[in-house]
Amino acid sequence: MAKSESSGEQSRTIINNIRRLRFENSEMTQQQLAERVGVTRQTIIAIEAGKYSPSLTLAFKVARTFDISIEQVFQYEDAQKE
Amino acid sequence: MNRQQKIAVTVLIVSLLGMFLGITFILMRRFVPDFPKTAIAFGSLVLAIGVIVFISRFKKDKGAVTFDERDKLIEKNAHLAGFGAVYLLVILVSYLPIGIAPEAKIPTKWFPFLLPVAVLCQCFAQSLATLIQYGRGGKDGEK
Repeated sequence: MAKSESSGEQSRTIINNIRRLRFENSEMTQQQLAERVGVTRQTIIAIEAGKYSPSLTLAFKVARTFDISIEQVFQYEDAQKE
Repeated sequence: MNRQQKIAVTVLIVSLLGMFLGITFILMRRFVPDFPKTAIAFGSLVLAIGVIVFISRFKKDKGAVTFDERDKLIEKNAHLAGFGAVYLLVILVSYLPIGIAPEAKIPTKWFPFLLPVAVLCQCFAQSLATLIQYGRGGKDGEK
């Protein structure tokens, strides 16, 4: 699962399952997913690698592409150290 | 590398070249009294035309989507970085002479040079910010 960083003490908080979901959906390529949600392949690569947090609109589009809820694609992980 | 990255690399190289040429011309003018002003103007013109022609050759990427929300965010942040760099430059040139030599006088003919220097500074910072945000990826940004 890829994680994306956020500022402050809470780091690496958003994780996603896009890579796994792509393979579970008849091995969809990054390009195919990008075309379906209307972004560039670079953006899909960045999201999968956790280097970019998508907008809510894009997150919903990705979830609908896989026909699942948004929380099954993206999870907010509370990584704050005590 | 997408179109934005190619343009950023070109502008970065050209702004560095511009800075180098600018410093060279200033030194030439200082140490070679009869160095022609037309050489500076001609050099700048050739550089500007060359950049425009070179950038216009970068065709739009193939595919349905070539510019999305991430590119927009990168562009916005790069503009902000460019603006910040110019702001810092103006603060620097406004206060540095006072700090170095409070009693010295600056010839007014120097002030028009602030504009091209600000343009170079803005181009440099914006291109650098664009490239940093896209990352040092290989083909299509894949690490």
